[in-house]
Amino acid sequence: MLGYICKYAPVEIFESMGVEMKRIEPDVTNFNQAEIRMHPNICSFAKGVLEDVMSSDYEGVILTTCCDSIRRFYDVLREEYPGKFIYMLDTPRITKDAGISLYEQRIRAMIRAYEEFSGKTFDEEIFREYIKGKNEEQQIAVRAGALNIGILGARANKNIAEILKTKGTNVAFDLTCTGLGRKVVYEEQNPMTGYVGGLLSQFPCMRMEQASNRDELIRRYADSVDGVIYHTVQFCDNYAYEYAWLKSWLRSPLLLLETDYTKQSYGQILTRIEAFLESLKPDVQRIQRQTKGENAMYVLGIDSGSTSTNAVIMDRDRKIKAFSVVRTGAKSGVSAQKALDEVLQRAGLAREDISWIVSTGYGRVSIEFADENVTEISCHGKGAHYFNPKIRTILDIGGQDSKAIHLNEKGEVKDFVMNDKCAAGTGRFLEMIARTLEVSLDELGAIALTSAEKIEITSMCSVFAESEVISLIANNKEKADIADGVCHAIANKAFGLLRRVGLEPDFMMTGGVAKNPGVVRAVEEKIGAKLYICEEPEIVGATGAALYALERISEE
Amino acid sequence: MWIADKYIDYIREQTIENPGQSWGKMLLGFQANKLRTKLLPKKEISKGYQKLEALMMSFVADSLCRPDSYVWGNIFSPCEIMQCFGLGTLSIECLACYLSGYHLEDYFIDYAQNTGIAPTLCSYHKTFVGAIDSGAVPVPQYAVTTSLSCDGNLNTFRYLEKKKGVPFTFLDVPYGDDEASVDYLAGQLRDFAGELERRFGKTFDEKKLKENIRIENETRKELMRFFRLQSEYYYPGELISHLYMMMGMHLLIGTREFLDLVRFMIEEIQTYPKFEGKKILWVHLLPFYQESLQHYFNTNQKYQIIASDIILDSVEEMDAEKPFHALARKIIHNAYNGSYSHRAELVCGLTDTLRPDAVIQFCHWGCKQSSGGSILLKEKMQELEIPMLILDGDGIDKRNSHDGQIKTRLEAFLEMLDSEEKEREEVC
Repeated sequence: MLGYICKYAPVEIFESMGVEMKRIEPDVTNFNQAEIRMHPNICSFAKGVLEDVMSSDYEGVILTTCCDSIRRFYDVLREEYPGKFIYMLDTPRITKDAGISLYEQRIRAMIRAYEEFSGKTFDEEIFREYIKGKNEEQQIAVRAGALNIGILGARANKNIAEILKTKGTNVAFDLTCTGLGRKVVYEEQNPMTGYVGGLLSQFPCMRMEQASNRDELIRRYADSVDGVIYHTVQFCDNYAYEYAWLKSWLRSPLLLLETDYTKQSYGQILTRIEAFLESLKPDVQRIQRQTKGENAMYVLGIDSGSTSTNAVIMDRDRKIKAFSVVRTGAKSGVSAQKALDEVLQRAGLAREDISWIVSTGYGRVSIEFADENVTEISCHGKGAHYFNPKIRTILDIGGQDSKAIHLNEKGEVKDFVMNDKCAAGTGRFLEMIARTLEVSLDELGAIALTSAEKIEITSMCSVFAESEVISLIANNKEKADIADGVCHAIANKAFGLLRRVGLEPDFMMTGGVAKNPGVVRAVEEKIGAKLYICEEPEIVGATGAALYALERISEE
Repeated sequence: MWIADKYIDYIREQTIENPGQSWGKMLLGFQANKLRTKLLPKKEISKGYQKLEALMMSFVADSLCRPDSYVWGNIFSPCEIMQCFGLGTLSIECLACYLSGYHLEDYFIDYAQNTGIAPTLCSYHKTFVGAIDSGAVPVPQYAVTTSLSCDGNLNTFRYLEKKKGVPFTFLDVPYGDDEASVDYLAGQLRDFAGELERRFGKTFDEKKLKENIRIENETRKELMRFFRLQSEYYYPGELISHLYMMMGMHLLIGTREFLDLVRFMIEEIQTYPKFEGKKILWVHLLPFYQESLQHYFNTNQKYQIIASDIILDSVEEMDAEKPFHALARKIIHNAYNGSYSHRAELVCGLTDTLRPDAVIQFCHWGCKQSSGGSILLKEKMQELEIPMLILDGDGIDKRNSHDGQIKTRLEAFLEMLDSEEKEREEVC
């Protein structure tokens, strides 16, 4: 069995020789081998492939010169497996005649090398018969009445399409390298040249010169669907250019989704996709209502975050009856129960008085007493609109992530971006720095306001930033000035997120960090506008969840 | 210096406030700096490196003042062909460095990232994309890039073609190094010369190209001679001097002026005392702003960078009679093309000739092709018993390079080199 990764690999050549071909789709839990053999900044896909190859039994791997990471991956693989058929196929980026002719020469050289390696023989007649009658597979399938989603961008593992299917949506097209069907061209007179020309004329990837043709094809495809997911792979930079470009003109709603080819990224993908689908069609996620007390008057929203678990009880008149905020402990289920008990007690209600419970936040799926769950992005949108209908842009900085959400005048989510990959720009980062400065989290924001000297924390990574802060302490800098520098560093990160959703006023800040006056001031300076902050900024998500619950009751 | 710093801060503020309005002032700053390098050169460095700085500053400042006099390129673009049309080649990597002179790299990088450009992309490309996309820097009428070495090349130029309407020629450099590859690229180079004829209304003179290539051959030979001398003599320079040298070897190679400068340096270096310290062969880019590296390698008699593979990334004699094929062969045989073993061979060749005490590879953020092979190169150096240090950081974005971490690694490495020498002395 030979492994391969690229759609430009001449798979049919080997298949006609009776070789089993397997496209390598890594689904790994760690990069242990890659960390020893490769630099950390190599793309996650290449690292994943290395893990896969080292734990499988391929007789060889066919690679193409598709990108810098794969070129270096080839060097590592060749060093590691001198006895295997590790072949780098030099694939031209030009699809004109000169490119086709060079690629044909390269493929023929590869065939000779494989014949020598394996003792097998390539027969052009058998190959002709093998490819005869093979047609290009259908690339688009829009289904009437369904929510149609297209996938674009860098190669994607199967999770994205699977999540979409389980959510009842139709994957109308998948134009990533892994989603495209094979395109085999058969030419009677000269089958090899025709075949090679066909390979190079596939829907072009971003390494190809002719990738500018992609625009027209994408426009045509994207217009036929309700939304497009644009996928990128961590440390693969080529597709981000296209995302930046498409964002400026594509009419369909667009979600940027970055993955790193590990099993662990599943949760992050899931939240983003769910929130995107909710923003396209608010009803898409609903589950069947369970039977509850007939005369119940109240609903409950519960937001299970990494730092706090918040619950809100609302009556039929959209009035908040009571709320609770408890610290999230080691088990989110336990904290949720605590928040529930507390809010019921404050409201003077019993569990039976609650007709419907909607959970949200990272721990939303682990809350057993909830009737349904909605992502925190949709809930924040709804909650923010409830507190102040003029809000169009929300900045939510929580314990483990930060996000910017753009709303329309009805409070519906139009766009959002999330940072949940790095601690910089989150509440955790502030906690870390407060610890280093030996002040409490509450003090950190307050002392920042008394700062006299401007200090810039330039490091973009929280670990680097922490050591930068330690250096500042060593240089006898004032705590207040360092705290202010840290607040500005968070504000800079936040501004990046806000800009990506459009910076439409009015602005609101939610989440625990909204209680930090230092950060609030720094963000306001950066955006040049006031932030609206409600009395208890931690309950906005839970309020949104309660509103979802109320809508559900009203539907009945 | 105080005035210069004030002016830099002023430009930075103006650009951030209104990116489209400060270009004239930036140009004025470049012109002023050009005069400074001529009238008030840095006294502590050698005359040769002073002249090199002045030459590169003039080249960039003068080109930018005349938008019709240059095209954008990447560092591997065939400047020899542009020279035949009287055009300069301003590489986007070098332009990014010059813009960072106004401390604007963070603003431009954030600008690009906020538009959606990947944070993990090379910081030179992000700086450049941000500078152009924000409207702070005007665009020329044409550009050229190769696929050599970096995925970003094609994509950056294509992105700016779409967003800013700068058309460009893309030269696809094959990975393989056989004759078919040379023919394939030579054909593209010939077509490119034709494209420049049409675009700039000038006739291409092949004789001029042949002459450029003859000068280029001479320059490369002389540079090797200079490197050998730099491993023998103390020759005060700065980190940035090596970047200027890299710029010269890629953007001005083929010109008489640059050849003359290298020859001047060969004469001058022999007037300096013998170098008794540790000789370092540098691999890949140099973060010219990094304080600790400046401390150890700017005019330091104990540690001297004697050569870098980024300055001399191609070593072959070119056949001037077949200029397009010669250029194609040179580009294909470049150390940064093909498998990493090819680059490792070139680095080994330099260690054979120059006998450095140690090798330092700087892994620049976002450069996968270079960082990706660093571990393989270290293994190769271990075979040759040459100590090698891998430093991670960023060639341009200070926020990605932590000085404290680089300092600790570097000092530990230098301590190791010094103690090895001590041990050897004791054994003797």
